[in-house]
Amino acid sequence: MKRWLFPTFVLLAVALVAGTAFAQEVSFKDPTGDDKGPGAYVYPTDKVYKAGSFDLVEFKMKASGDKATFSVTLGSALEDPWGMGGGFATQMVFVFIDTDGKEGSGFTKGLPGLNVAFAPADAWDKCVILSPQPQNRVASEVETKAGWAKAAVLVPTRTRGAGRTISGTVSLKELGEGDPATWGYQVVVQSNEGFPDKADLLTRKVNEYEGQHRFGGGTDGDCDPHVMDILAGKGTGDAAEVEEQKKALAYECEADGAPKKTATLPMVRK
Amino acid sequence: MRTTKTLGLVLLLVAVAVSGTAWAQQGPQFTISGTTYTKWLWGNSRDQGALYNFKDAPGEGYGDNGQGTEIELLLNAKVSKAVEVNARIHSRFYQNFWTNMGGWGQPSEDCSGSGTSVGCGEFDPRSNQYIKLRGVTVTLTPGYSWLDSATIGSSDWGMFDPYVVGRIRYIDRDNVQGLLFQGSAMDKALTWDAARISLPRLWAGPEYKTGNFHVADGAYVGQFKYSGGSTWDIGGLVQWVNDIEVDSRDINWDDGKDTRMRFRNTVFGAKVGIHPNATVDAKAAFYYSTYESASDLAPASFGMNGYSPVPAGKHDDWSGKLNLDFADLGGSGFGVNVEAFHIGAEYASAMAARRESDVLLTEGHDSTWALPGPGNATYGIWGGNPTVIGYGGWEGNAQQVATINVDNQFTDFNEPMAETAIGWRGITVTPTYQSGNLELAGEYTYLTYDTNWQAWGDDSRAITNSPFPAMDMQVGMASYRSAYAPFQDKTTHIALLKGKYVIETGKGIDLFGKIKLISETDKRLNDAKYLPYLPGDCATSGDLGCENQKNFYSTGNSTADFFNNPGVITGANGQVGYQWKPFNDVSDDDRDLSYVMIQAGAGYQWTRDLYGSLEYIYYDADLEDGNTAFQAYNMMEMASGKHQKNQLIAKFRYTLGGLSECGLVYEYNFGTFKPDYGDGFVPTTASEETASSVHVPVGSLGFFNRYGGWNTMEKREFDQQRLKAYLKILF
Repeated sequence: MKRWLFPTFVLLAVALVAGTAFAQEVSFKDPTGDDKGPGAYVYPTDKVYKAGSFDLVEFKMKASGDKATFSVTLGSALEDPWGMGGGFATQMVFVFIDTDGKEGSGFTKGLPGLNVAFAPADAWDKCVILSPQPQNRVASEVETKAGWAKAAVLVPTRTRGAGRTISGTVSLKELGEGDPATWGYQVVVQSNEGFPDKADLLTRKVNEYEGQHRFGGGTDGDCDPHVMDILAGKGTGDAAEVEEQKKALAYECEADGAPKKTATLPMVRK
Repeated sequence: MRTTKTLGLVLLLVAVAVSGTAWAQQGPQFTISGTTYTKWLWGNSRDQGALYNFKDAPGEGYGDNGQGTEIELLLNAKVSKAVEVNARIHSRFYQNFWTNMGGWGQPSEDCSGSGTSVGCGEFDPRSNQYIKLRGVTVTLTPGYSWLDSATIGSSDWGMFDPYVVGRIRYIDRDNVQGLLFQGSAMDKALTWDAARISLPRLWAGPEYKTGNFHVADGAYVGQFKYSGGSTWDIGGLVQWVNDIEVDSRDINWDDGKDTRMRFRNTVFGAKVGIHPNATVDAKAAFYYSTYESASDLAPASFGMNGYSPVPAGKHDDWSGKLNLDFADLGGSGFGVNVEAFHIGAEYASAMAARRESDVLLTEGHDSTWALPGPGNATYGIWGGNPTVIGYGGWEGNAQQVATINVDNQFTDFNEPMAETAIGWRGITVTPTYQSGNLELAGEYTYLTYDTNWQAWGDDSRAITNSPFPAMDMQVGMASYRSAYAPFQDKTTHIALLKGKYVIETGKGIDLFGKIKLISETDKRLNDAKYLPYLPGDCATSGDLGCENQKNFYSTGNSTADFFNNPGVITGANGQVGYQWKPFNDVSDDDRDLSYVMIQAGAGYQWTRDLYGSLEYIYYDADLEDGNTAFQAYNMMEMASGKHQKNQLIAKFRYTLGGLSECGLVYEYNFGTFKPDYGDGFVPTTASEETASSVHVPVGSLGFFNRYGGWNTMEKREFDQQRLKAYLKILF
């Protein structure tokens, strides 16, 4: 064996072990078949919206070095029928994170287009958006439509889809201080809408009746959560979490379609 | 009486008040939004026929220069919970150049508006900048248990299947209208769609027509889908196209007029998907089509090179594919997709997707080689047939469609190109690997063809009497819409490896690259019985000349009717010989392509709003495509020889609040083509007239083919540039 081969091998092995040792992973599971929002939402009728494509199955956050990689696995193989270039097209995922766990610290208002809120105890401090749109398009939309939260929203430089998993990496430092294992997480599955409503953050609307490119089962107003699937309960994937999701996404509307009770999402913690 | 009147008045007032409250609660909502799109084209082909790079229909224009702006207004009215109206009015670019001053430009001398002419100003709807109704849709959601919605009007019909009724875009996504009914049962596990689509008379029948009586023509389609939870689903659909004409044989009009069939097309489809877990996904689809056209109302034959979205006469065939996808095997980041497919030579669905879907897993061919000539010209051996899309072709690889009714019209060079996959059968394997910042993907595809036949698969007919529309013929580097040739014995191998890697410095540098190999052989005429003349018909030494004794492959049928013998001429250097090589060997038309494409590029997010990339692509194609005996079926430029093409592509994408899309693409395309047409003939020189007509140097070597077209033997050097900048704003 050449003399330089052995030390090189040892160095690589040490680097690998060290990388593994410092890597930290948080993961949650979600029941399959609960991609119906509060219970009765249905997909748009165009064939690009494949069954299971908004069904959250698993979420992972892996912190390694100064990076944090977010991976969201869905219920069907990803496709790119609109030629977005990143391996997926129809989905958009919001990962809300409560990094400090302090009641009243952070945002209780959801991002525009989702029509959701968070309880003060679960207020979010950061949100990572996984979108097939170019990073600068998403960041620009955040600045225009959610300027109040722009410092708290992170968009990976590149978001990729492969198999059934969408993933993106952001700077761990930008997520904030603390141990990611102790943070609270909420994963919201929505759909990428390149031509969104004026106030919506690239999100697809939910109406009373589904359309070719509109979800159905909600209302024509903005009192219903425009959300297809979320983490619920303890994030173990137990069937009981379906009911937990329905409770979290329960909403009420005024007669004129304004929100009476907004869906309030919980954080899920290890 | 007074009491009654008072009570009535009170009731009326209460009714008005109540209805007013209801109106306030759920009254009509009307919204208007829109987009404006500005485009700037520049190129050194100096064409100015339209603000689209490609449009080759007769009477239409194309161009690579000009600036223009279009606007569309999107109207939406929610009349009630059950009624919604959407409409779109739009001014299109077409020939609306800024130089027209809003439609008030002086009409051009050539008022036809075709090719590279700018048309007739205010009096030409393509130039006058008028805004026009583009689509109206009324959607009813009555709340019945058996019907979810009824849609009346425009749609892109994307809810069906690209093999049967595909997503349709002509110039817009809502050019095709009809009635659509959708419903569901079993808590939405079972869904159904039924539609009656008015048959587009521009392209949905034999010879791109639906006859004189078009208003009653329709496509009727129904489909169901059943989802058995997240692990399996099934679906089925059927389409019936009915193109009818008023029966001229009915002379009694007192009882109305009879109608008769011009074209009918029935297609059945069945699909099943099995999704047992996150790693494995399996899908299968099967389609069967039958169709028939009346020989006196539609073409009975397309000769040697006809144009039609469907073959003539009565046919049936099937298509199908089987997909197995394995993702992230064992958490390794490794996945593999496998697709086996068969798209029958005679399979046809009049409403199949024409460009908006990619029906196969393979990358297929590269879009820079789109049409037969070395510079992407069709019929380039005659004057007045320059390339339309330019030497650079389109960008990237082709997407495949299950029809010969391929549509690449109204596109620019940076858009995807569609190619027909009719007759394709084979298997594709695409391994993928992802780890950290590295993404790798490969492909191997083996293709053979259901169109591998001799004399169009029917010895009883003359080869110039084909029911199959050849649409440019399968010659040269490529032809995106040609599926049929009279003689074919072809196999194709496609192999590629591509990768992306992000270097973690600054905002991250995207590196990307690809290497792609294509090996293709086509023996074409592979049996001596189809050679045009008897062996030894043309003398090869001594007194040259041919006896013209035809070789018949069946009674009365000989390929000599198309591949006739050459005359004896005195060539450029005084040598006496044949004008082209006599077709006396089955290898005279052989095709053998060795193709390599290498791409390397990098991209960087310069600022928060600006992303830029630069890439270089090199193509090397060594093509033998028959010699002067074959001469590209007498119609197209010969492309046998060595092709070397280079593309330097710069892209910028800029985003600012309120801009939905803004960017610039610049391409520098340069390269050479060194012809090699074999031997057995004597070249001549181009006269001033020939040189002027087909744009070659006076005195350069070449030969006139059977139809009088000039094939140059000069080495060609291409040097073309083009640019597209665009700005799209939603409001």
